[in-house]
Amino acid sequence: MALIPPFFLETLSERENKVGFSYLVKEEKASLGSQMSRRLAGTIRPVSESGLAVVIGLVVGAFLMLAFGYDPIRAYFALFTGAFGSPAGILESLAFATPLMATAVTFAVGVRAALFNIGAEGQMYVGAMGATIVGGAILLPAGVHPIAATLFAMCLGGLWALPAAVLKIWRGVHEVVSTIMLNWIAFWFVTYLIRTYFAEPGRAERAMPALPTARYAIIGATLTTMIVVVVVFCIAVTVLLWRTGVGFELRLVGDNPEAAKYAGASSSRAILVSFLVGGLAAGLAGASQILGRPPSYALYATMGNLINLGFDGIGVALIGRNHPVGGVFAAVFYGGLMHGGRFMEYNVGVASELVDAINGIIVIALAVPEIVAIIRRRRES
Amino acid sequence: MQAIIVVVIVLIAAAGAAWYLMTPPPAPVKKIAVVSDIGGRGDLSFNDMAFKGGDEAAKAFGVTMVELISKSEADYVPNLETAAKDPDVILVVGVGFLLTDAITDVATRYPDKDFAIIDGFVPGMPNVMSILYEEHKGSAIVGAIAALAAAQYGYSHIGVVLGIEIPVLWKFEIGYKWGADWGLKWYQNKFGKSAPVIGDTPVKDRVLWTYTGTFSDITKGYEAAKAMYAQDAVAAYNVAGPLGLGINQAVQELATQKGLTNGPPFWIGVDANQDWINPGFVLCSMMKRVDRGVYFATQLAVQGTFRQVVADNGGIVTLGIGTKISGIDITGISVSTLADLDEFIAMGTNAEKLTGKKVLPMSPDEIKSKATAMRNSVPSWIWDAATELENAIRADPNLVPLAMSQEVVDQWRATLG
Repeated sequence: MALIPPFFLETLSERENKVGFSYLVKEEKASLGSQMSRRLAGTIRPVSESGLAVVIGLVVGAFLMLAFGYDPIRAYFALFTGAFGSPAGILESLAFATPLMATAVTFAVGVRAALFNIGAEGQMYVGAMGATIVGGAILLPAGVHPIAATLFAMCLGGLWALPAAVLKIWRGVHEVVSTIMLNWIAFWFVTYLIRTYFAEPGRAERAMPALPTARYAIIGATLTTMIVVVVVFCIAVTVLLWRTGVGFELRLVGDNPEAAKYAGASSSRAILVSFLVGGLAAGLAGASQILGRPPSYALYATMGNLINLGFDGIGVALIGRNHPVGGVFAAVFYGGLMHGGRFMEYNVGVASELVDAINGIIVIALAVPEIVAIIRRRRES
Repeated sequence: MQAIIVVVIVLIAAAGAAWYLMTPPPAPVKKIAVVSDIGGRGDLSFNDMAFKGGDEAAKAFGVTMVELISKSEADYVPNLETAAKDPDVILVVGVGFLLTDAITDVATRYPDKDFAIIDGFVPGMPNVMSILYEEHKGSAIVGAIAALAAAQYGYSHIGVVLGIEIPVLWKFEIGYKWGADWGLKWYQNKFGKSAPVIGDTPVKDRVLWTYTGTFSDITKGYEAAKAMYAQDAVAAYNVAGPLGLGINQAVQELATQKGLTNGPPFWIGVDANQDWINPGFVLCSMMKRVDRGVYFATQLAVQGTFRQVVADNGGIVTLGIGTKISGIDITGISVSTLADLDEFIAMGTNAEKLTGKKVLPMSPDEIKSKATAMRNSVPSWIWDAATELENAIRADPNLVPLAMSQEVVDQWRATLG
């Protein structure tokens, strides 16, 4: 932390950094009001861009439905009222959103350090295994049990991210290659562990479930207090990124490696921190499905209740503009699509494969602004 | 500026949608809801059969079937709940034991709604019917057929490839071994001499059996089956779902090597009629008619006798060979015939449409003619023996041993291997 001059830490937000230092100092002193309006303008632009993207996505999806002879208005009505139209619907959508909030952090923190970390999937499997081991196979008192299981899961997730980080720092191995390989290793490793050591006796399809003492309390539907833990974690990552020297270094390396080098920032440390935080997040996502998702509280064979949550986190991160808190809101939206989709099928009869396609189109449309931004940033640097 | 445009567009769209939705929805009809497990549509097995049964029941009893496809384990509860909340739904069916926890949970919270679960064991709830099957009886019949085929073609063994060793698979294993034994005794009675080749194999070595420890790793099925055929097994019975494709691969390798157009060697299908997968090389299939279970549950729900039947039977309804409940025939186990091959070919055609992938190995007509040629090449006395065993099972429901505990299994393994 001492590597970075203190004034950087206190006053620079990312956007202001681009504007320029001297301008900033004047502005800082000028008026609080104009600063706030600038902040507001800085928020409105991405939000309105995303709003436009939603509209485009919905329109394209509508044409797709028309092409297959479905009624798009009724279908969308079913989708959104199903997902957010009743308290039970909202709770269920939030339950679907919870793991995505965490896996979105994995990708977002990667992008902030100019990494394309797609290893959330495997880190999540390993994290879920960790939650199963401590939550299902070890006896602990009620208050301590969920905390211990969650922390162990996060640590394993972080541990699983390390090889990719080390390979990147040490040999320059591209993280896409290493993380995708580690995802598969995790899949088969966890499958092996479940089958050989942690299978629930008499049931072939899953590992032993988390013991009642290790479970998070149910709020409603399949939502548990786990969501609080995840949201707090996302806020903590935000604080880390924007309020600490380590976070500043990480973003600096991500934004402009040359300038970062000049400023004396350690790109190795930035990469390491990015992978580690990402791994913790993915591990938490894994734990959330074991310790905080009724009714089974168990890890299913072939990862049936986890599969793709890590990859979905990439889309969520892009919609949330690679900001952990943005990711929370994006995850709620995405969770709404996941839960609401069934009502398009149920109420309007839209084939479930088409529901997936429509949700995909909406997500892609939403992700476009951030993808463009990433490409633009790459070009500039 | 951008923001204003977006807001205006959203408002117009919302107003338009509201106006549009004012038009009244169609009059409600009674519905049944079928919730799939993660296999989803196009699995050519449990889920497709359940939808087929729901479809037939819907036509027969004037109700509508709604399908809810589960994409992940996390979808089970919300899918069941969506159906349970709908006042028009009279029955919610969960397909497969994977939904056991979810059904228990949702059925507890919706005590006024009726639920049925295929293959799941949820006893003692007034609104849940657990639909189970007498797999041991069907396994016994295919065991007899396999053993007699070994006698006919001069093979020394028969095989069975099993999945993970869980209690439900014991029913298959012991049933199959018992059936093989029955078949060879039948041969002795019929022809007055011990069956050739397999009859000389010690009783405890006749059936080669392997628990592969997986329901998904197709290679394991291939390896297990390959070893069995190398030890001179005439047929291997698939008791491991998709591993049947691995068994088929092992058979196909031998067929290509020797230039065969039909077996032996054979394999034996499970759950659905799998004879079409490689016609000529699938001797027969032990069918577990999930569609009949869904049909029966719907029938009871429509007649209003669902809860009575649940109460009378402790929540468990077992479909088997010639089983009856309240006078309704609920046969749900049978050995595949040429007659019912058509339905399953149609299922394959549907799956092809749905996934855009090639499912059927050849045209439906070719499948039919190859399967017919194979059946005709097998001497009729083998099929007669199967019918005889079926009749004996109908006459005595306790004829085939039901192995549900380790002790019983050990006991039978001590005598039959």
